[in-house]
Amino acid sequence: MKWATRASCHVDRAACAWLIRRFIDREAEFVFVDDPAQVPIGVTPFDMPGAQLSHRGHDCSFETFLRHYQLDDPVLWRIAEIVHEADLDDERFDAPEAPGPDVLIRGLSMTRDDDRLLELTGPLLDGLYEYVRRATLLGHEPA
Amino acid sequence: MSRRTQWALLAYRIPREPSTPRIAVWRQLKRLGVAQLGDGLVALPLDARTREQLEWIADAVHQAGGEATLWLSQAASASQEQRLTAELASARSLEYQELIDEVENAAAPNDRTVQRLRRELRRVNRRDYFPPPERAVAKAAVEALAARFERPAVALGQQQP
Repeated sequence: MKWATRASCHVDRAACAWLIRRFIDREAEFVFVDDPAQVPIGVTPFDMPGAQLSHRGHDCSFETFLRHYQLDDPVLWRIAEIVHEADLDDERFDAPEAPGPDVLIRGLSMTRDDDRLLELTGPLLDGLYEYVRRATLLGHEPA
Repeated sequence: MSRRTQWALLAYRIPREPSTPRIAVWRQLKRLGVAQLGDGLVALPLDARTREQLEWIADAVHQAGGEATLWLSQAASASQEQRLTAELASARSLEYQELIDEVENAAAPNDRTVQRLRRELRRVNRRDYFPPPERAVAKAAVEALAARFERPAVALGQQQP
């Protein structure tokens, strides 16, 4: 399946792309556009104004994906809080980790193109998933 | 002639009722530290983040049944631009001054006070596009307060052989 989002990915788009590949569509291909009107026919847009899989009410796009695909894994919902705060910084959640991914991915988007950015953020988010998974099982920070 | 700043302008109309989405939009604009150019017209210096944030707000206005358009533009004269940047700098300067006053008037400050002030300072920094001199003063004031709570612990440590 083909997916489209806005070029110059930041944390919400990077996390959504990771979520799609790991939990929704293993064969996902991504295209990057500057304008929602450039989305080719038959391609599913996300994290762009007007798309269904985008910001909804208080939710960032990552949260919208979790609701839409009914992904109720508590690990993903904790990652959603981090992504939400890194993206929107509205203090809806307590996510002290958020400024880290925010500046790291913002910096990557200055030095790498979108395809390379997603290649690099994929393993980072795998790591974050494993960390949060262990923290959730243990009930405290894993060593 | 120096290059003019590029601005992202959001022109919007949002229904008066229901008030919840209207107030949510107002809060988001306030958090971003926009310059109010007129009724339903706000501006921010253009960068990837400000543009994206204003796009989301435009989307929220649409979802609330309103109208919003985002424009990229520059002031027609240098003096107009200076007025706008001075207005933004002075709005932030007031916020920094409030922080400085809070540090000076803190009755019984503790490390929680420091955490709160650091958080508030970060919030103001995020919307500070044309830093006024008070930015450095506020940072120094908060860090000086923080140092007062770190020093005793260091002194205790040093007493041990």
